[in-house]
Amino acid sequence: MILQLTVAVPILAAALLATAGRWLPRLVVDVAAVLAVAAVAALAALTLTRAPHHAQVSWLGGWGPATGVGIPLAADPFAAGLALVTALLTLAALLFSWRFFTEVQAIFHTLMLLFLAAMVAYVYTGDLFDAFVFFELMSVVAFALTGYRSEEPSTVHGALNFGIIQSIGAYLTLAGIALVYARTGQLGLATAGRQLIGTGTGHGGHGDALVTAAFVLICTGYLVKASAVPFHFWLADAHAVAPTPVCVLFSGIMVPLGVYGIARTYWATFAGLVPLRAIAVLGAAAALLGAVMCVLQHHIKRLLAYSTVSHVGLLLVGVAAHGPGALAGTAYYLAGHAGVKGALFLAAGALLNRHQTVDEHELRGRGRGMPVTGATFLLGALGLAGLPPSGLFAGHAVTEHAAEELGWWWFTPLAIAASALTAGAVLRVWLGVFRGTPAEEDPAQEDPAHGARPDAGGGHEDPETRPTLRNLPWTMVSPGLVLLAAALLAGLIPGGPVGAAAAMFTDRDGYAALVLDGRVPHPHSVPADPWTASGVAGFLATLLLAALIAVHAVRRRASDRTGGGILARAAAATSARLHALHSGHIGDYAAWLTAGVAVLALLTTRF
Amino acid sequence: MRTRTRTLLFAAGAAGAAALFTAGALDLPRFGGAVHPYGDRAVRQALRESTTNTISSVNFDQRAFDTIGEELILMASAIGAVVLLRVVGKEAEDQGAAHRHGPAEVSDALRIVGYLLLPVTLLIGVYIIAHGAQSPGGGFQGGVVLGTAVHLLYLAGDYPALQRLRPIPVFESTEALAAGVFVAMALAAAGAVPALNGAVGVEVGCALVLLIGKFFEQALLVREPPGGTP
Repeated sequence: MILQLTVAVPILAAALLATAGRWLPRLVVDVAAVLAVAAVAALAALTLTRAPHHAQVSWLGGWGPATGVGIPLAADPFAAGLALVTALLTLAALLFSWRFFTEVQAIFHTLMLLFLAAMVAYVYTGDLFDAFVFFELMSVVAFALTGYRSEEPSTVHGALNFGIIQSIGAYLTLAGIALVYARTGQLGLATAGRQLIGTGTGHGGHGDALVTAAFVLICTGYLVKASAVPFHFWLADAHAVAPTPVCVLFSGIMVPLGVYGIARTYWATFAGLVPLRAIAVLGAAAALLGAVMCVLQHHIKRLLAYSTVSHVGLLLVGVAAHGPGALAGTAYYLAGHAGVKGALFLAAGALLNRHQTVDEHELRGRGRGMPVTGATFLLGALGLAGLPPSGLFAGHAVTEHAAEELGWWWFTPLAIAASALTAGAVLRVWLGVFRGTPAEEDPAQEDPAHGARPDAGGGHEDPETRPTLRNLPWTMVSPGLVLLAAALLAGLIPGGPVGAAAAMFTDRDGYAALVLDGRVPHPHSVPADPWTASGVAGFLATLLLAALIAVHAVRRRASDRTGGGILARAAAATSARLHALHSGHIGDYAAWLTAGVAVLALLTTRF
Repeated sequence: MRTRTRTLLFAAGAAGAAALFTAGALDLPRFGGAVHPYGDRAVRQALRESTTNTISSVNFDQRAFDTIGEELILMASAIGAVVLLRVVGKEAEDQGAAHRHGPAEVSDALRIVGYLLLPVTLLIGVYIIAHGAQSPGGGFQGGVVLGTAVHLLYLAGDYPALQRLRPIPVFESTEALAAGVFVAMALAAAGAVPALNGAVGVEVGCALVLLIGKFFEQALLVREPPGGTP
């Protein structure tokens, strides 16, 4: 019953607020929403403590596994942990928006609660089609939340791009599910997996063309969500226009849930039938491209969005490394990333509230009166670089160890480069906005070409609160600080349970036993150990590189970009190319998406 | 990207995706086979619960959780439409421009048919919902009929009457209430197919009225700027 309640509580609260929100005073709406989310967090925490020992499975409506038609909700420790992270991020976002969005009844709260319910249901469900339904619900709510401030054309543009690309991905996922269903007559992850092993193997125990096609198509929708290259275009457009508390949920958990979807579907259903190298390649590409694009931005929300592309790319590589060790590292990484990115977005929201802009150049030196926000940016940058004992540090160290055992020599340089570039960009923002000197009023600052490209951003933005608050209230400051602290300490989560949870997650028969027989599997597991010398060395190298990147950028800006060697010109040309690539044109994005499906298919097929 | 490049990129990608899908589809079980594992199980379980309409049994009983998700998608879409389209209403108020709603001239034949069909269609909608557990039909279909029936008034050219018949706030609240009732009922006792059917019918009907109403507001708002020229 706990699992049903975890999903039902936010839905019922959302229904209540949508019904009566028009007449309820604002305080009641806020309190009701926060209480509902806190209840979900408590239920998820309870599930997390019980999951390693007692099977947390519930067949809805009493249609047990013997009937062969029901839908199970199942929570292994990773699923429960993800639900907990989701609830905590939602709680932070709701607290931050306590003074937000006063005009539209309780619709913002209703949507946030539905969003939470959709994500929790998606995480817990043990059924392919049901996962798709809640994946769709998650997307629909996300579109509405993205377009929330629909007064501005750019908002509608960003939300529309998001909606179209996500929907195309979702249709392909549905087509893949249909293929699995047609072959096996099953919709449960575990039962379909058993059938596929029995019937779907061609020569040499690998999946045949149908299995490959189904996996590729299902993954496409999830990869769009996880913003792997070349499916990532929607992400920055949507993040740039979505309200800041919504960005916290997008970057912190919704995008990583795409990675979870791939991991769960693979290990519960397709394990051993298809190779994961396609996921590794697209993830690595996202890690690199996202990091480079991140450095090239000066719209802070866009910058943070591209850093999400980069870090979630690393998560994809961690899943593709195909083993409990790398998965344990990925879990650490996800938790740390969620906290750090949430805190950074909330800090950006504080800047937006105070100065009505999130453009790095316009904000130059204007953050000096905001010590807490400044500290958040500094610590957030260090966190992205992998400061021990943050979750990102532990994630790097553990995944790196597993990748080395696989012989993936390229993983460490890739992770260091991605982290250094993204951390360097955030560090540059900190140096410029919070340590720099304000530029004097410059008439040339009103550059008309500025807003023409959708990628350029900048310019005046409507504040999300009205009237602009003089002093940031504690409800806007403390959620970010708590998230940041949690992320920076996440590496201290004991490695034993994490390793055991990863072993449980990657054990296909174990998952089937959990869902179908209600037995908790106890596969052999190795405790995750983040405290390795190479992990610490990796952090130091990352930090050094990040500092170099940040200082170089600030210097270059101070010297007004007069120097123009061949290298500088080549860099400028590349940057222009990359900006042109991210055109904001929905046709481009759709073309890239189809090309991405073809690449996925090529890399997944065994010839 | 130039149009030509984009087309080429898309063509290459689409060719690859089509090849993948074709290869996968060729491995499907042959058409017209006798093996229907899921259908066999679903029918057996529906009969065991003595629900004569297997489709309703799957929708509201065996896989009621999917239906919850689908219902919530509809509810979220309706709420999303309210959020996204609120700007239009604001524009009309802000600008103070003269505006009016609706088509002007409707022939008498259309007007009479619209008025005559309204009660009949409403009745059919209720029937389809009420009998969903026994015969073809159900909450989704009946709800759609109900939601569109109301808009026959629009065809009859009587937009003011339509506006009186469907006060948007009431439908917003009822829709959310019905969704909440459905979830609560599904939690308490799955298997009460007729009752769940009814809740879905109300929810779908209200959501549809809400969606169409919002689109009407947008599509039918004839702006007449004070200056005369647009």
